[in-house]
Amino acid sequence: MNSRPNTSPPFAQRVLLYILRADLAEEVLGDLEEKFQETLKTKSPFRAKLNYWYQALHYLRPFAMRKTKISSYIYSALFQNYVKVGFRNILKYKVFSFINLFGLAVAMSVCMLIILMLADQHRYDQFHDKKDRVYRILSDYDNSRQSYATSPFPLASALKENYPIMQETTHLTPGVGGDAIYQQKLVDMRGYFAAPSFFRVFSFTLEKGDAKTALMSPNSMVISSALAYDLFNDEDPIGKTIDFADRKLPFPLDYDGIGSSPFSWGSFTITGVIDQNKYKSHLKFDVLVSASSMPALYVDHKIPDQSNDWEQFFRTYTYVLLEDGKHIDELNASLKDFTDRTYADIKSEQTKNFKLSAQPLSDIQLGLMGNDTNSRLPRIGYYFLGFLAAIIMLSASLNYTNLSIARALTRAKEIGVRKVTGANKKSLVFQFLSESIIVSLLALVLAFGFLLLIAPAFKGLWVNQYLNFELPQSISVYVIFIGFAVLIGVIAGAYPALHLSGYQPVKVLKNMSGSNPGRMGIRKFLSVSQFVMSLFFIVTSILVFNQFRHFMKFDYGFSSKNMINVELQGADYLKVSNELGSVSGVMDVSASDIIPATGTNNGIDLRETGTDAEFTHGNILLTDQNFVNNLDIKIIAGSPLSTAGESDRFILLNETAVKELGYQSSKDVIGQTFDTKWGNETLEVVGVVKDFHYRLLLNSGVIQPLVLRNKPEHFNFLNIRITSAEPMATIARLEAKWKRIDPIHPFQYKFYDDELSSTHQAIFDLVAILGFIAFLAIVIACLGLLGMATYTAERKTKEVGIRKVLGAGGFSIAYMLSKEFINVLIISVLIGAPLSYVVNNLWLQMLANRVEFGFGTVLLGTFVLLLLGFITIGSLAIRASKSNPVDALKME
Amino acid sequence: MKETRLGEFEEVILLLAGILGEEAYAFKIADEFESQTGRAVSIGAVHSTLERLEGKGFLKSEMGKSTAERGGRRKRIFTLTAFGKKVLKESRDFKMSLWQQYPAFATDKLNIA
Repeated sequence: MNSRPNTSPPFAQRVLLYILRADLAEEVLGDLEEKFQETLKTKSPFRAKLNYWYQALHYLRPFAMRKTKISSYIYSALFQNYVKVGFRNILKYKVFSFINLFGLAVAMSVCMLIILMLADQHRYDQFHDKKDRVYRILSDYDNSRQSYATSPFPLASALKENYPIMQETTHLTPGVGGDAIYQQKLVDMRGYFAAPSFFRVFSFTLEKGDAKTALMSPNSMVISSALAYDLFNDEDPIGKTIDFADRKLPFPLDYDGIGSSPFSWGSFTITGVIDQNKYKSHLKFDVLVSASSMPALYVDHKIPDQSNDWEQFFRTYTYVLLEDGKHIDELNASLKDFTDRTYADIKSEQTKNFKLSAQPLSDIQLGLMGNDTNSRLPRIGYYFLGFLAAIIMLSASLNYTNLSIARALTRAKEIGVRKVTGANKKSLVFQFLSESIIVSLLALVLAFGFLLLIAPAFKGLWVNQYLNFELPQSISVYVIFIGFAVLIGVIAGAYPALHLSGYQPVKVLKNMSGSNPGRMGIRKFLSVSQFVMSLFFIVTSILVFNQFRHFMKFDYGFSSKNMINVELQGADYLKVSNELGSVSGVMDVSASDIIPATGTNNGIDLRETGTDAEFTHGNILLTDQNFVNNLDIKIIAGSPLSTAGESDRFILLNETAVKELGYQSSKDVIGQTFDTKWGNETLEVVGVVKDFHYRLLLNSGVIQPLVLRNKPEHFNFLNIRITSAEPMATIARLEAKWKRIDPIHPFQYKFYDDELSSTHQAIFDLVAILGFIAFLAIVIACLGLLGMATYTAERKTKEVGIRKVLGAGGFSIAYMLSKEFINVLIISVLIGAPLSYVVNNLWLQMLANRVEFGFGTVLLGTFVLLLLGFITIGSLAIRASKSNPVDALKME
Repeated sequence: MKETRLGEFEEVILLLAGILGEEAYAFKIADEFESQTGRAVSIGAVHSTLERLEGKGFLKSEMGKSTAERGGRRKRIFTLTAFGKKVLKESRDFKMSLWQQYPAFATDKLNIA
């Protein structure tokens, strides 16, 4: 009911045609049409349509509806009977019911967790009034791995000027990050430059202040209520003036900050307060600075002037609000037209084949792009988790299917009687499906209990501090859960329902044993596939855990023990290092611009002075003269860097750099000079250090060329080695000293060991998730096996009794009962072991610094699987073989 | 044995069907009902009553002409049967006789609104 306002809703018509008696359809539809046309004369099309639905639903009367073969009364009686028999079956076969319920519930709870995650993500940015018409503009160019969430700065205004389909455009430009100062109080503040149009596109409302004018005049600011509280407590912030000093704090992505020294931007007036806690949005900020403040800052080069820069598209976020009724295709067409014209004569490497595209506001939260505004789980993550959950769910459903088929024999008589008394195949299918749905709904209740256990565990995972899953529960989520449970019931029950309902009554009633209790072929196949999956998960999680341990114990080639890294936060390095170096408990102090092996790298290109050889690409680390010594990096030739001020043209190379630059021995390179590609400097090598790992272990296997150089003005961190005795006391003394040097900024430090291990923390989460899934997979598979074995043992009670009476031993009976299942296990291992070896090798080969993956890991996994499998069947077989044959034979 | 009593709503609908004559089909009757009584009624409710009246033998029906505003669909025209007319008349006579036995009516001091 969208584009044609003057026709009656087609869906309502279809509903009518479906429920109405055939002979009534024509006149009723005619009457309703007439009514609709008449309503249209006086009321809005929407009201008319609503009325049509009202009228249509009022035809849900017995006289008008199609007659079904059996009247609804009999149906409901039958249904009651199905439910009753279903419940009786559940209570009668407690072991099977437990296996089914437990397995389904465990698997469901995992699926429910993922449903909750998705529901959580879908709540983002739902509060905007015009959310269906708001789009973010993405940039893309040749060879980029994924689209950027950012676009050129002037784009917003250019689009608004040239294309009438844009009702409004707005941009958000990061670059505000520093100290807000109000009456001696200093608070960190990060945010965007934003134009007044921000409030016309988005539906953030101001707690205080006027949204129309808040971002109008230069040097005005809208701040978050949290910031307002920090700065002003309970005073009214509106109209207050604060001083702002920018420290280039990283924003919007909040990785460990390396702020530069504060640089005053002057004073700003608070014109509005936003309560961020009210909104779930992909946009989070402490402050919005009016975009009209920017020109004054360009003049003093406090921020780069991009107002006419079409080549840089790495900072600004552009959003457009389309006119009512306009479609995303029209927007994309406009964007194409725009890039064709604008980029025709811009020839730059980064805008080669430059493309702009639109992303609907509601897709942003799940569609993570490069340079995005916050960190969240990308879509592939959901696919991965969904895939794992689906496998577990499938495995649990297979248990149900398997056990139902196996129990067919027990139920054959019931089916026969039902058929003889007139049930047709359809109603039997309906009966078995309703039974499986009852089971899955009961499982849902149990699953809900499990969910209460696993949801907090999931929220407690390390990664969640970046992803911020809240997992709230709402009515709509419950509806989805119930729908999901019904779906699972249908899937799990489909095969048994079709299979059982196909029995021929005469056969099953005449001779029970003549009916085939489900072909063992299918059941074996299902069991085997469960165990193959389990084995695969077990091997994978062992492997990932080994990889994690490998990273944790990795020898980087330098020592990070008892080392803390202190952020300088713009303070003078020499002063701080002298002061902190004198604290008792401190063994040594050095300084660097970045912390090696934690993710940040800077590049440099070198070639020998006076040649025009190709530049050799490497990385550069700016350190003081003490760094190499402090981190226990060996100097294999030459001398360490000289103290700052003497000469900053001296450099150290690592062994790889020596080789890459074409020197045989480390000694040859000492005293050589090199030119840099950027900045035209000439550097002289004074020493060579042993190779050490200075990049993320995940990304780089081989060590690349490295240059060490002493440039104090770029130092951001002090590396302080402390004595192992009472480290916290030393840190407390350091902090006290820091307060005297910089009373404003808090002392910020991290243990180097922690920093290094946190780079692999995500892998540990993967271990936790995979291990959990593997555990569930094997538990469910074993439960299935247990069910089958129990059933076989029950069916063969008499046989066992007779055999025993005739003198069979316990072992031979245990073997007779379990050989079928041992076969299943062995086949599973034969398929699963090579499979998990090959598949795991596929991803492992892509990883740098990988762990040894031999048959040992596969063997360990196989051992775990077989152990659990044998315990499961063994216990039953032994019990059956030990039972007193008299009991078995008496039973009739 | 078929039910032949006439309910209040049924009686009104039957009367309206008689009044509308050639134009007596579900939508028109519902429309007329709304404008005469000021009470809202769904077409479905009227239709079900018509169907019931037909079952009791008070109405008969046949398919009529189609018009453009109905999307070319025909309408079912209901007409009173002789039996229907008789029932209506009996109902009226019965009420009249009741009214005449009501003394306040004769003295014209009727106090019911």
